[in-house]
Amino acid sequence: MMGNLLDHMGVERDRLHFSWISSAEATKFVDVVKEISDKVRALDTGKKFAKDYTK
Amino acid sequence: MKFITIDKKDWAGGIDKSRKTYQVFGPVQDENGCQIKPLPPDVYPLMDAGVTVMSPKSVLFPQTEKMLTATLDETREDHHVMKPVEKEDTPRVVLGIRPYDARAIQLVKLNFDNPDYQDPYWCKAYERTTFVGLAVTHPDPCDFSTSTGCGPFSEEGLDVLMADLDDRYLAKILTQKGEDWAGACGFDTEADAAESQALFDILRKEAEKNITASVDTDRLSEKSILDLHEAPFWDDVAFSCINCGTCTYVCPTCWCFDIQDETKHKTATRFRNWDSCMSPLFTHHASGHNPRGSKVQRVRQRFMHKLKYFVDKYDQGIMCVGCGRCVASCPVNIDIREVCKTMNNYESK
Amino acid sequence: MDTCIEKIRTICADLLAKGEVQKVIGFGEGSIPMASRPIAVTSKDDVEKLVFNATCGLNLANYVADAMPKEGKLAVVVKGCDSRNLVTHMVENQVSRDRLYIIGVPCTGMVDKRKIADLFEDEITEFTEEGDTITIVSPQKTETVSKQDVLRHNCQVCTHRNPVVYDVMAGEPVEEQSLDQPYADVDKIAEMDPEERWAHFQELTKNCIRCYACRNACPLCYCPTCFVDESAPQWVGKGQDKTDINTFHFLRAFHCAGRCTDCGACVEACPMGINVRDFTRKLNKDALELFGWEAGLDMEKRPPLDVYSPDDPDDFIK
Repeated sequence: MMGNLLDHMGVERDRLHFSWISSAEATKFVDVVKEISDKVRALDTGKKFAKDYTK
Repeated sequence: MKFITIDKKDWAGGIDKSRKTYQVFGPVQDENGCQIKPLPPDVYPLMDAGVTVMSPKSVLFPQTEKMLTATLDETREDHHVMKPVEKEDTPRVVLGIRPYDARAIQLVKLNFDNPDYQDPYWCKAYERTTFVGLAVTHPDPCDFSTSTGCGPFSEEGLDVLMADLDDRYLAKILTQKGEDWAGACGFDTEADAAESQALFDILRKEAEKNITASVDTDRLSEKSILDLHEAPFWDDVAFSCINCGTCTYVCPTCWCFDIQDETKHKTATRFRNWDSCMSPLFTHHASGHNPRGSKVQRVRQRFMHKLKYFVDKYDQGIMCVGCGRCVASCPVNIDIREVCKTMNNYESK
Repeated sequence: MDTCIEKIRTICADLLAKGEVQKVIGFGEGSIPMASRPIAVTSKDDVEKLVFNATCGLNLANYVADAMPKEGKLAVVVKGCDSRNLVTHMVENQVSRDRLYIIGVPCTGMVDKRKIADLFEDEITEFTEEGDTITIVSPQKTETVSKQDVLRHNCQVCTHRNPVVYDVMAGEPVEEQSLDQPYADVDKIAEMDPEERWAHFQELTKNCIRCYACRNACPLCYCPTCFVDESAPQWVGKGQDKTDINTFHFLRAFHCAGRCTDCGACVEACPMGINVRDFTRKLNKDALELFGWEAGLDMEKRPPLDVYSPDDPDDFIK
């Protein structure tokens, strides 16, 4: 639902990810982090929820 | 006193000329109501709006203001040294400010510019702002400015006072700043001073007759602070209050603020934000104690400040100019006029 | 609409006289046209102060937890939406059913005060309601409208006009509406492309002054310390930075996800009239579509984000 609301506001869905990872699942952790990094890097630098202190 | 006539056909052109010298502010309408905002090059002030939702206090005292900034980069020599922020120094003019808002600025000045303390941000903004007032010829139903020491044609705090005469404005130049503004616009058609003043007096009396709302404040100063503080009516007054910040934010005489530092990467910025005594955190001490932790205490404090503490401290009447904004905007319709009446008439047993 | 006020007053006078309740929370007359205000009545002699009309747009469930007397019961006047918030309060352990005496009022809607004010160029001096006809007067003119034409949006799409829980009903139940496209407003935004959607929400909140009237008028927002007021760590700035404003509204809506009854008190309270329901209605639609859930209809069930069920949608979790 959070992803849906963010998407509804115009923020790309691929910026928000969820995963259940136990501390015993180190390999899964690495895979998920790689996946998230790739997905987010594919998007432009996000400015929508970033505070701009130059203004 | 000098009076000038401004033909409405020349009004927009004059404003455009003045944009060379001034950043122009004035009332504009959008889907959330009428607000005083900076006017972009092709936008002109709405001169027949009623009371604006927010007051012009934000021209001198913005809701969020950068005060200081510092670098946290320890490789730099000036790291952790807080420095003032570069601010735009253009003179400003507020067009169409109402007399009650101009008086409010004078009341706020007691706080920000006095012999003991001068707030550099507010004072600098005040010095470079010219207030071109528009007299209230059609008072709003919640306008009770005549009870608070000003009125529809009050000149206090204004540099120019204009009256709308349908096809033209009749403007009374009150100060050098006002004179400078008129010059920058190219408004120079003088009107006969005696006749103009007489017309102003007639219009003022008309407008004052149209003000139907009033409060009695004559007995506030004689009441004892403790009696009012311990009075039983506060529970009733405070019941519906939801402790939002609406009344304090729309009020032209509220001046409380909060200072916070925010950091991002290697930069720290110090901000001043409006704060509200209605907020539960307003008096939350670092120790964890909160002397006004309950809603009743906060509501009582607000009205005591406006209608009693200020009265006693400054002897300039109540800390309210009768604009009626809080009455119109309060989500639960708490009415300062009713509270004032209750306080003024209160007799402790 | 029979505003039920006479019945409300009779019920309250009776309850207070018999000592069945210590206090009644209802609406009282406002001091300016089109206004009403929440009031508490503790004596049967004061029940004449109670009113009920199409300006009673706030949600009295908001006051229940704090106004509960030390002993005895509290009576509260609730519309359909408000009663659903009481159910939510009971499910969330904010208030106990046996301490409440619920006076249900079947409701045909509250007026949109801004819509009415926009019909005029000057200020309104009088507002009268007779059945379905509303007469509004200003120095310049008088307008007569049908209440149905000036309803608030949430009332236009309301499908729960009758209170769902009550000890007594102050009037005959009204017919519930059935709507083809109750979430047309949400769909309209969803049809825009992402940049347009972002622009829509920026435009929507451009005049937000962080007064928190929306939050404070909302019966769901009862956290002792709201997330925007936390300082260790501070999650959200207190100023006018757009990111802070966005975060406040987005996250507050999300805290109400699956709990909001669309009572409209947030919009009614906002001094700027900002339609913050654009945030919550998307979540309400999702709750319905993903979980088959509408808030406050069942005292035995907890909201979907509060409880785990094996067949909850989980395709978004890696």
